[in-house]
Amino acid sequence: MWRRPGMRTDSSHSPPAAQVGRRVFLGVGLAAVGATVSCTRGTAGGTWRFFTPAQAQTVDAICAQLIPADQDPGAKEAGVVNFIDLQLSKRFKKYRAVYQQGIDAVDAASRSKFGTRFVELTGERQVEVLNVVEENSPVFFDLIVTHARQGFYGDPRHGGNRNMVSWKMLGLPFPPVRGREHYKG
Amino acid sequence: MKKIVLTAGLLIAACLLMTPGATLYFELGDGTRCTTCHEMQPLYDTWHSSSHRNIACGKCHGDAFTVDVAFHMNNAHRAYSHLRGDLPEQIGFANKYVLEIDQQCRSCHREEYAKWESGPHSAGFARIFLDKKHNTANMLMDDCLRCHGMYYEGGIADLVQPVSRTGPWRLAQPELANMPSMPCATCHQVHRQGEPMQKSGVEGSRPGPTQEVARPSLALFDRRTQLYVPVADLPMPAMKEGERAVKMSKDQRQALCYQCHAPIAAMQVGSGDDRTGLGVHEGISCLACHDQHGEKTRASCATCHPKMSNCGLDVEKMDTTFVSADSKHNVHWVKCADCHTKGVPKKRQETNQ
Repeated sequence: MWRRPGMRTDSSHSPPAAQVGRRVFLGVGLAAVGATVSCTRGTAGGTWRFFTPAQAQTVDAICAQLIPADQDPGAKEAGVVNFIDLQLSKRFKKYRAVYQQGIDAVDAASRSKFGTRFVELTGERQVEVLNVVEENSPVFFDLIVTHARQGFYGDPRHGGNRNMVSWKMLGLPFPPVRGREHYKG
Repeated sequence: MKKIVLTAGLLIAACLLMTPGATLYFELGDGTRCTTCHEMQPLYDTWHSSSHRNIACGKCHGDAFTVDVAFHMNNAHRAYSHLRGDLPEQIGFANKYVLEIDQQCRSCHREEYAKWESGPHSAGFARIFLDKKHNTANMLMDDCLRCHGMYYEGGIADLVQPVSRTGPWRLAQPELANMPSMPCATCHQVHRQGEPMQKSGVEGSRPGPTQEVARPSLALFDRRTQLYVPVADLPMPAMKEGERAVKMSKDQRQALCYQCHAPIAAMQVGSGDDRTGLGVHEGISCLACHDQHGEKTRASCATCHPKMSNCGLDVEKMDTTFVSADSKHNVHWVKCADCHTKGVPKKRQETNQ
């Protein structure tokens, strides 16, 4: 029971706590525990924010064909799929439907042409499928090409260009060594 | 009525205890429960393979028993944002918490902390941003925050007012005045991959080819990307004296120094904030003379002199900025010809031969 500091209390007027509060206490306690547990369960779990693991694999494989690794790392090594996934939960929310349909279109084209999922194809066959997708789903294809470039060359703070691989490839020193001229008052 | 009051009281207590309760739940998972929020996974992974893997999350990040309402409110706010799907691009520290973490560093790294605290890199916000001499000659700008107050959330105009060369200047948040503007987290990434520090008796601590030159945590916090760049990935500038390429030490740790003690674009020695060694000190690493945390140089001459002294004089008493800041001869660039204006005599041993 709340009381003002310094206020005298008469215990004879206070109800026995066990008598009055047991059910209430248990109820509130259970509610609090329930709320805490639900809070700690998280919303999605796993590595991805928007994609399912299978979708992430497909997007990763598409990007790896768009910017393949050679003597330098490619889109896969730069974590471009991470960039796209992150941005689809933020600024690219409006493109979610395009990605959902586009990924379905890629797998559909893969199954109809080679009878299996896109990620299970060889690199050459993946390129063949992507040629079909470029013709049949140009909006998705153009979008993922643009996003792959952004994720590969952009600032690592946005989720791609892991370890600044593209900047290293281009020979851009990062962070640049740039001092400031000083003036005497 | 009493039941209502009791119920309300218990509800309020439950709500108040829920946040620290949830924090306790996460703590008891040894970090793994934190990864139920997927944005935490990379942070957990890097911590788990870092040299600080044996330090529990709560030691640096606060725990259920942290007596700070703002801390628990912030946690509740983050949980709310997470449940709404409003996920951050990156998870980092607020300026306030970076400064608090310095105290956690202190609890284990006492000697390093004491050296840093007594050195110039522990300068507070007031010392750096309210410097009348500097601010009168040089306009304050956002780029100042690249090396000073790099964790500050905001621009220079949010930190110092007015942004002018006339002043008088004041900090918009006076409580920052004595807070270090270059905290430990400027040059050390706690979550960087590496082995825990060994006290003694291991090969890595003995002089020789296997000696550890730099701790794995050595990295630069880059304000622009909000990321750490490991010291091995930092660029070393190709310094010049006029058209001549200056001999550079291969000590990669210097790359960290060059990020702030940097020359202007022409890469000339002595331009901007550069202090690259020239003359008798050309090719020597910054860290050969500057103590790692305190930056002190007092005892450093004895490392090489008089063994490598060419003229037989006591170098600590020569007319350089080592003795007096007013000297015309900056110790970084001092040359024999600065004193021997009529020609440098041959080395004594050569004369004797």
